[in-house]
Amino acid sequence: MIDNGQIVKSLLPVLTFLLPGGAGVLVLVFARRQALLRGALTVLGLGAALLTSGLCAARVLRGEVLVAWHMTIYVDALSVLMQLLGGMLAVLVACYSIGFSRHVPRMGDFSSGRRGVYYGLILLFLATMNWTCSTNNIVMLWVSLEATTLAMTFQVTFYWKRESIEAGYKYLLLVAVGVAFALFGCVLVYSAGLAFLPGNEALLLSSLRKIAHQIPANLVLLTAAFFIAGFGTKTGLLPFHAWVPDAHSEAPTPVSALLSGVVLKIGAYALARTLIMFAPQYPPIVVFVALLASVGMLIAIFMAWAQDDLKRLLAYHSVSQMGYVVEGLGMGTYLGIYGGLFHLINHTVFKSLLFLSVGAVMYATGGLRKMSQLGGLGRHMPITAFCFFVGALAMGGLPPFNGFMSKFTLFLALGQRRLLWAAVVSVVTGLLTLACMVHAAYKVFWGRPVANPSDAREPREVPAWMTVTMLLLAAACVLLGVYPQIAYPVLDRATKCILSVLGSG
Amino acid sequence: MESGLIVESNLIVTLMVAHLIASLLAVEVRNLRYAVACLAVQSALLASIFAAFAYLTATPNLYYWVLTALATKVVIIPVLLWYHILRLPERELQPMIGFRISTAIIAVLTVICYRFLHTYVEFVAPTPEATIEPARSCLAIAFTVFALGLYVLMVRRDGVKIIIGMILLENGIHLSLVTLAPTLPETTVLGVTTNVVVTAWVLLYLVRQAFERLGTTDTLDLSQLRH
Repeated sequence: MIDNGQIVKSLLPVLTFLLPGGAGVLVLVFARRQALLRGALTVLGLGAALLTSGLCAARVLRGEVLVAWHMTIYVDALSVLMQLLGGMLAVLVACYSIGFSRHVPRMGDFSSGRRGVYYGLILLFLATMNWTCSTNNIVMLWVSLEATTLAMTFQVTFYWKRESIEAGYKYLLLVAVGVAFALFGCVLVYSAGLAFLPGNEALLLSSLRKIAHQIPANLVLLTAAFFIAGFGTKTGLLPFHAWVPDAHSEAPTPVSALLSGVVLKIGAYALARTLIMFAPQYPPIVVFVALLASVGMLIAIFMAWAQDDLKRLLAYHSVSQMGYVVEGLGMGTYLGIYGGLFHLINHTVFKSLLFLSVGAVMYATGGLRKMSQLGGLGRHMPITAFCFFVGALAMGGLPPFNGFMSKFTLFLALGQRRLLWAAVVSVVTGLLTLACMVHAAYKVFWGRPVANPSDAREPREVPAWMTVTMLLLAAACVLLGVYPQIAYPVLDRATKCILSVLGSG
Repeated sequence: MESGLIVESNLIVTLMVAHLIASLLAVEVRNLRYAVACLAVQSALLASIFAAFAYLTATPNLYYWVLTALATKVVIIPVLLWYHILRLPERELQPMIGFRISTAIIAVLTVICYRFLHTYVEFVAPTPEATIEPARSCLAIAFTVFALGLYVLMVRRDGVKIIIGMILLENGIHLSLVTLAPTLPETTVLGVTTNVVVTAWVLLYLVRQAFERLGTTDTLDLSQLRH
């Protein structure tokens, strides 16, 4: 068994979710209308979250595992990876939103009073996400996961248009019901654990995984099905993806970046924490998950091809790309899990870059997002065009961008496991993704300009808040592609966290 | 002593049958106000099952469950539902499946589901203790109510009815949670039950907003977003 590290009691992980959560509540209750106070609280909340997760990361990388509250909070490298990812993206999205919120009223109501709700909910979301990633209590994992869903609901319905209400309703209903299955799974595992562990310890994921091999086979089968259906819904895995395109397309675009960038990953994280404990004893579960992910990624690509709406197109790509992540995590080898986690990071980077670029297009054109209505924007918005192309090529898996590195790792891992069919499916999906994205980028930025009678104004490059955020993400795409070692320390330890579960069986 | 245990065990089974009937009524009653009343009764019976369990197995921890269930399921959720449906149409929208066929379907579904789970309880019971009465019947009922909630979600079109279905589904899970894991810590119980209240509230709020914009609670009308 690989050692996870030395267990140290610390209240630091608790602060990662209490501080942004507190700031979020303060913004929502007291500072919705005072711009200055609201801004200060948002900066403080996000800064505190990022700082505390950074400090946690520093300690975890030194070989410690931080625990608190009688082991119900347990922060290892995998938690830290997720928290840092969420924190950084939330900061970038908040910066981007400063510019984006000045868009034309036709796109939706983003007036001063609404901004308080917006930033408050971002803080609350980050808090619930950090909580999900640091809890060690299997039932609380469900509670906090559901809390992340709830925190995003009013973000999806933010504009309160007909379509956004529909998207929000579908999102909440489908995810809540889906995740209810996962709760059933959690209950079954917990009660099965009670036979081998004393009372409160049976709730702890870190203890449960040690006795997972003693749980009867039929129960494992049922529980695994519940976990896949439940957390799979949150991950947006095909065939549980129905909410993904609607929620992504109708939410304000920075929120779509958050949804795709981190909300989907929380589901994958939960799968990695729960389902994987059965993997050593029951390899068919792994093969089934790989099969589901492979078939899903291919079907989702064909669905993406059929889209005219840029945001729906990107949402279907997210469904497809999450297939890669889950496939990697499900493989159960070092290389596979490493590739899966690496792709998880990379997907967050390039997909949020793509969504933010589409947001910039919408900002400049007064809310247009259908490819058939757009064309030739490259001349007017060179920075946005550059960023979109970087994101598109990164997602397509072209070197020297980050998507290539993680996909290549995954292909190698698939070859190592002799899952050649899955490797072929993944490569074909990658090529289709590249073609689809280049087609979209060409159409929007290089294609013939489409006359737009309703808005005679020439589209112009977007404000600096937005361009700088996008350029930072584009730089990250290149950096992670050219110098992937930069993510190695965290990824290596996070991979070993998952492997230690596999090794202990 | 032995006969006393049997009497108490019978009490639980009686309560469970009543609980199942209340669930069926909450699904099939077309007047939404009465359906909410049935849901409140269903939840009250659920709380009394918890109480009977607490008494029968001498688990004081379970009284916390009883209190939380009374507060959230019997008071807060029905009051929330009541507050909103007073402002919504009183009758449920015509479901996709008519009353008679639907009743027949759920009667058959319930019987099959219950019989199957009761007979093959080993498949869903994580521990040998769970295969002994009354836990065995409880588990079967819990899964049946869960399936009933799923059925409502799939075939009904009225937004409020769908929320009732979701609450039934969660109630089924909570019953299994109490049956299988009576020693759940208080904070976790609170987390699980609060979550349902918040989810139900947000969904109700969205249905209300949709009603104010579209003039209907028909969830089939909420399907404009197709590529």
